[in-house]
Amino acid sequence: MKKLSLFTICLIILVGSWVFLRFVVGGIISVPIPGSVIAMYMGLIVIAILVHISVEDSLFREFRRPILETLVDDKRRLHRRVLVVLIPLLLLGYTYLIIAQRANPPGSPRDAHPSPPLELTYKDEVIGTMQDVVNPFRHYEKDDPEAFKAHVENGKRVYHQNCFYCHGDHLDGQGHFAPYLQPLPANFQDPGIIPNFQESFFFWRIAKGGPGLPAAGGPWDSAMPVWEDTLTKDEIWDVILFLSDYTGYQPRTFGEAH
Amino acid sequence: MRIRTVALLIILFGMLVVLSLTYAQNAPEASEKGKQVYENSCAHCHGVEGRGDGSAAENLLPKPRDFTRGLYKIRSTETGQLPTDQDLFDIITEGMPGSSMPPWETALSANDRWEVTAYIKTFYDGFKEAETPPKQISLSGKVANSEQSVETGKALYSELGCVECHGNIGRGDGTSAPDLTDEWGDQSWPANLTQGWNFRGGSDTEDIFKRFVGGLAGSAMPAFEGDSFPGFGLTAEESSRMIELDNKDEMTEAEEEESAQLYEKYDAAVDIALNLAEGTELSAEEKQIYDDAMKVVYEKSWHLANYVKSLMPEKRPEPAIGNNVLRSQYVQGELPEMDDAAWGTLEASYFPLVGQVVIEPRQFNPTVDAVNVKSYYSDTEVAFLFIWDDRTHTTDETDEETGKILEDALAVQFPVKVPQGPTAPKPYFLWGGRLPVYLWHWKASAPEQVTELTAKGISNAEVQEAQGELKAQGTYTEGQYKLWVKRALKTDDKKDLQLDPGVFVPIAFSAWDGANGDVDTKRVMTSWYTFVLEPVPSSKRFVYPPLIALLSVGFLFGLRAFVQRRNSEEV
Repeated sequence: MKKLSLFTICLIILVGSWVFLRFVVGGIISVPIPGSVIAMYMGLIVIAILVHISVEDSLFREFRRPILETLVDDKRRLHRRVLVVLIPLLLLGYTYLIIAQRANPPGSPRDAHPSPPLELTYKDEVIGTMQDVVNPFRHYEKDDPEAFKAHVENGKRVYHQNCFYCHGDHLDGQGHFAPYLQPLPANFQDPGIIPNFQESFFFWRIAKGGPGLPAAGGPWDSAMPVWEDTLTKDEIWDVILFLSDYTGYQPRTFGEAH
Repeated sequence: MRIRTVALLIILFGMLVVLSLTYAQNAPEASEKGKQVYENSCAHCHGVEGRGDGSAAENLLPKPRDFTRGLYKIRSTETGQLPTDQDLFDIITEGMPGSSMPPWETALSANDRWEVTAYIKTFYDGFKEAETPPKQISLSGKVANSEQSVETGKALYSELGCVECHGNIGRGDGTSAPDLTDEWGDQSWPANLTQGWNFRGGSDTEDIFKRFVGGLAGSAMPAFEGDSFPGFGLTAEESSRMIELDNKDEMTEAEEEESAQLYEKYDAAVDIALNLAEGTELSAEEKQIYDDAMKVVYEKSWHLANYVKSLMPEKRPEPAIGNNVLRSQYVQGELPEMDDAAWGTLEASYFPLVGQVVIEPRQFNPTVDAVNVKSYYSDTEVAFLFIWDDRTHTTDETDEETGKILEDALAVQFPVKVPQGPTAPKPYFLWGGRLPVYLWHWKASAPEQVTELTAKGISNAEVQEAQGELKAQGTYTEGQYKLWVKRALKTDDKKDLQLDPGVFVPIAFSAWDGANGDVDTKRVMTSWYTFVLEPVPSSKRFVYPPLIALLSVGFLFGLRAFVQRRNSEEV
């Protein structure tokens, strides 16, 4: 078998890497990789190849030999003729596609969990600082399991009269209205949601809804209602108990100061 | 080697378990586990005692099933029969599209779904008392879909009176549609047969056939007993001849004789069916007549299923999100009027509507599925065609509770000023807030008129002083509204949105179905979508690509010349 030239090997590495990233990693193994990330990897590979061939003069000569041969050698006349047609044609097609591409709307970068304010309020009443407020019924979990159960039951009722249309029967954000809302309703079965936030954070999100989000959260898009207009403070705390009780995830807490 | 054998055994055992779960036909005995799953996942709608009266039920329509009556809509069994365990399991697994029953396939394990199936059955004694398994509808005589079958089905559709509820072409807009109630006295809207994605039990031809033959127990949809078919007991040719004769103004003597004979045969077959229903033993001859008659009925039902299937698109259209935005197409000169054929060639953008559940009074049970939008623009004007299905044409009904006038309406919403850049604030999606929105409000009572509004909140809309900049035309035919609107791209009014090609503009919709009690905040709506006057493709696309191709040819020849010269110098 004829030994492959350095140029061909480099070409194979380049094309192979692209196919691997685009179709194998970004298709068979995982979800598609963004074009910009692929471009970055490809840039690295090109640099690696350039470094490799410029280490020694002989390597560089070996690398460019097939290019020069194709340009002038009589043996390579056929290659030359094919390439002189193919290269301009590909460039023609590529530039046409770029120019004729129709413009797409700008994506809207949105922070799904923006920073809360320092103070937690219900309507205009200040409850305390976001850091320190705890669910006033949480202690029943240890002190009085019967009372705790009653609060969870009430939270369940509130949830199913108000929240499940969007957040779903299973609290997985897949209520029957959910598919056609943007942004999508929160999925409380996602292990990244409940354990990452304090109960005061959930109180804030429920009480103030979409319109209460800071600008980074896209307050104009979210269909989350301002629940302090319809629910009492206790109902909100109860529904938070239900969220963690049903999913089995505990909201984040900070240990008591010693 | 031994490890491999063990692994193989484990895999085989796993496959066996999966297979046995997949093919299990009967639910296990009701257990504590089933009760626990039920109370955790189902009771909030269906009630702890299975009466369909959970805390969520109040706001839902269709109502959650009351399990204590043993009436199930989605069955593979014949009229009057209970569902099979598999039927119940399938509904739990797949949910009921168009209602609030979600699919539980991912949320509950197959085992839990079987346990809960068993538990649900305990609410109705009939399941325990039944001595024989329910009789399943035979799908063996399936008639393949063909143009002729669809035609036959179409004729049956009107002969059987389907039009009275489902409307002439199936949009659920029949004359009796608003007055239908189910077994529990709740409103029961007839299906819009053009929206298969909302069919509770699926929209395959087989599903439609089963619903039709078995009926939707408890709903206003009747079960089609064989003898309710026109010409029961007659062959297909005979029954169409009978109808043909019926429709004649005058019959000759021979024809009268023929008609009488046909009726005699028909009456005899109906009598047999009635006897059978009463439990009378049939003679062999009677049984033969009955079986033959039912064969024809089943065949006709397949034709009907094929016809209904032909009324709907293959799948629900993709919503106009992401890059699939509403793109207004450029035309030179005059924009097409409402009836212009040019609209037919344009694909509509699909905007699914959801109930407005943010601000009281809320709408939990929408009846308008979506609004479809098409648009053209010229150098000076833009025209839109909005299309949406509504089962009823309501222009001035008074709401009994509030005394408010209920009527069908549509509102199209834009920001007054287009936000500059992806992070710039938009107005609140529900009719604005701190930032105002610009609205076109159309009402069915004044179909030639669109009112321009400026709003800073859902209950804070003002009619603009300057009106008359919009031309509008609205129609209602066969359960479908069409609204055509035209406006200049630029107006003198500072409160109006000004339009420029290539600019992405947020757009949103609200719709009201008067017959569903929609008024003011009670409505269906969308969040923000995007609309653009699609720029005419640049003519540069014919200039630069060839130029670049030419340059590359020049470069290649230059390179070759350079190499050749260098080589000769080296030599």
